[in-house]
Amino acid sequence: MKIIYVLIPLSLLLLSLAVWAFFWAVRNDQFDDLDTPAMDILDDDDDEPKDDPAS
Amino acid sequence: MSDPPKPTCFHCGEPIPSGTGLAVEIEGQPRPMCCAGCQAVATIIHASGLKRYYDFRDALPERPESEFAPGRFSAWDRDAVLDHHAVPDSTVRQTSVRTDGRSDVRTIVLVLENVHCAACAWLVHRYLGAFPGVAEVRLDISDGRLKLVFDPAATPLSRLADALARLGYPPHLDTPDAGLDRDRNERRRMLRYLVVAALGMMQVMSYALANYIGAGAFGTAGGMDPETEHFFKLISMIVAVPVALYAGQPFYRSAASHLAHGHLGLDVPVAAAMLLALFSSVLITLFGAGEVYFDSVVMFIFFLLLGRYAVMLARQGSGALHSALARALPSQARRLTDSGSETVGLIELNPGDRLVVADGEIVPADGVVLEGQGRIDESLLSGESEPRLRRVGDAVLAGSVVTGGSLTVRIESLGPGTVLSGIIELLAEARRKRPRLAQLADRAAGVFISVILLAAAAAALYWWRTDAGRVIPIVLAMLVVACPCALALGTPTALAAATRRLAADGVLTADPDALERLPQVTHVLLDKTGTLTEPGMRVVDVEVDARINRLRAMALAGALERVSTHPIARAFESSDLGLDVLDAGSRVGDGVSGMVDGVRYRLGRPDWAGDGFTVPTEGIWLGLAGDDGSRALFRVDASLRRGAAELVDGLQARGIPVILASGDREANVAAMAKRLGIREYHSAMRPEQKLARVEALQREGAVVAMIGDGINDAPVLAGADIAIALAEGAAIARTQADLVVTGRGLGPVLALFHEAPRVRRIIRQNLSWALVYNICALPLAAAGLVPPWAAAIGMSASSLGVVLNARRLGRGGSEHTGTRPGRGLRAVEAGT
Repeated sequence: MKIIYVLIPLSLLLLSLAVWAFFWAVRNDQFDDLDTPAMDILDDDDDEPKDDPAS
Repeated sequence: MSDPPKPTCFHCGEPIPSGTGLAVEIEGQPRPMCCAGCQAVATIIHASGLKRYYDFRDALPERPESEFAPGRFSAWDRDAVLDHHAVPDSTVRQTSVRTDGRSDVRTIVLVLENVHCAACAWLVHRYLGAFPGVAEVRLDISDGRLKLVFDPAATPLSRLADALARLGYPPHLDTPDAGLDRDRNERRRMLRYLVVAALGMMQVMSYALANYIGAGAFGTAGGMDPETEHFFKLISMIVAVPVALYAGQPFYRSAASHLAHGHLGLDVPVAAAMLLALFSSVLITLFGAGEVYFDSVVMFIFFLLLGRYAVMLARQGSGALHSALARALPSQARRLTDSGSETVGLIELNPGDRLVVADGEIVPADGVVLEGQGRIDESLLSGESEPRLRRVGDAVLAGSVVTGGSLTVRIESLGPGTVLSGIIELLAEARRKRPRLAQLADRAAGVFISVILLAAAAAALYWWRTDAGRVIPIVLAMLVVACPCALALGTPTALAAATRRLAADGVLTADPDALERLPQVTHVLLDKTGTLTEPGMRVVDVEVDARINRLRAMALAGALERVSTHPIARAFESSDLGLDVLDAGSRVGDGVSGMVDGVRYRLGRPDWAGDGFTVPTEGIWLGLAGDDGSRALFRVDASLRRGAAELVDGLQARGIPVILASGDREANVAAMAKRLGIREYHSAMRPEQKLARVEALQREGAVVAMIGDGINDAPVLAGADIAIALAEGAAIARTQADLVVTGRGLGPVLALFHEAPRVRRIIRQNLSWALVYNICALPLAAAGLVPPWAAAIGMSASSLGVVLNARRLGRGGSEHTGTRPGRGLRAVEAGT
């Protein structure tokens, strides 16, 4: 059971890494729009626009 | 609803007027459309391969405009406008932009109207993203702000703006707003707290579980050696202390400020429980043996933050007053120069400039007419239903619309100096002073918290004398079990479910709290022009003499009015049978004339058209006079909005007095009040007088709901307890509204008054459930029968029950009979 004295502090390291990564994501606007990305997955890429609106 | 099924528009969901016959083929089937505007938008959506919008959306859009002035955003391509509003973007990855050697990528923020749901964002994103040079499209659906990174050389801004307008989302240039940044920062801060608490909770829980198993819980053999047990406590402490201190900040801060102001808020016992549990556990870990509550503390913080986060999102969603001025003004203006005229952005204008405002355009600034004459529609500003004639030397106001003729105007004052700005300031003022009704939860909380704190203190005193070692676990269990979690979640979850439901019925909820307040409404104030009536006139009465019959008179009027751009002329559009008119002409302010079948006719102001008219005093009358001596009189009136009569009847049947407050003239208002059976009416009211009337009622203890549509209604809407605006009305009015009716009829408003008591009932159930649960659990905890971890589970279960109960609001038809069996807690218990 001695291994827990190594593994658990290691898990704390991972935890702080996860918190840092999350803070980074918040700072970089990753959480500003939580609604539209959910829509993107419904999009088939083969469903291309029939005519380009800009043409 | 129980009405027989009427065909509804596939795009906007409105009933289709009979004989419209418009359709767009989508997915191989002809889909019916109610108007050319919807048809145009649906066609664009379909042609761009974006028809899935119709599958994704969960709120119906407003009816789009059907007419577009070409080039109405052309000034947005001017350097002055771009330099002022669009900053050069250096962060965007150049590879994703086709820059053709020259890199001039800019970032601009536009405010879009009519953005409701994620499907709107998806549609805008996909549609704009297909234009060349557009690198990034990000639409925030909570406030309609669109961040656009684009290359003006590849696709000019005017092109993008025009595309947005055609899609049904008219864009406005943004004015920077500190409030929005503050909201965003708050959102981010709360998100950080929430996620830190969640991660911390998972960690501490896993350590606690090891400890429980080690101690022989759940029937395991147990037998963890004391050294390992201490290690787990230490490691729990290392995680829990920083997490609790960081993520619990909102509660500590709010409790401290409540105490500083000398009253007990919901957060006082919450923060007390958190800090007490945390520091007693720290002391136990460091110096002695006994239970630690690190897991309970962090879990407690996480669940409370979850509720807080949901409430914050709902609050922020309620419309801020951003870019109100920009929304009420045109996107550009035409300025006269020595060599001709140029189209400029509004920021380029200066007092003294001369502007040309053509028929149908919005006046961009307050000014004086230099040349020309025309009718000015100030109905959104003043409520005056009939456009007034303005001649050289008369003043015109920013935000009014020229409906007949064309003017040259010298600018007197701009932006913040205009009458329109004054109205907006009045509105901001009214919003600040608006009385906040005590909410159910807040009232309950005050009593509830004092009871908990007193009970905890009494229990502590008792146990101190009998068994001092159990004081802390028992006080903790009491504070945790009595956690006002369910109490705090009860209202927002019910409101969120109701909001979703109402969006599908055609009412958008900007401030969910309004649903809770709605059943308390004692008076309803109604605007007339544009609210009870639809924009546009129709013929309501025809009087003829012996030489002419009604049909002939209508056909003649329809034919003669063809040349007129006056709004009254549109009332005769449908009676135009195609008679040939020779020598047709129109005189601004008087009427129209022409030859039909050899007879010269004049139609217009009776005293101008001919002699021999006896015009009734009431209403607006037009005279038709032929030189063969025939005479006819037409009475025109604004047509009543669908559902207006039912709304007034329905409200009065519920014992809610309806007050008609209009800026229009006495005769028109009195006639409308008589027609609808409204007893109290006020005419020629200015915005501040309407507001004063509302405030007078409020001082007498009344709870006032205002239903309006115009800019002049905006301050009143801001000051009323409940503000209901029509989506068709002025954008400013909509930003002030708690509830926005998207359809053209007033039917949803009455449905709202039926639905709101149900929302209130569910909230009451939730709150009473929370209270009953706490009242039962508190004595058990005081008796030492509930360990803190069980208290935490009980708290979560009661919160879950509340959430499930609230979800009932999201489904089912509107049953407003009040005979549902689940009046008590049965439904809640079934849910848990």
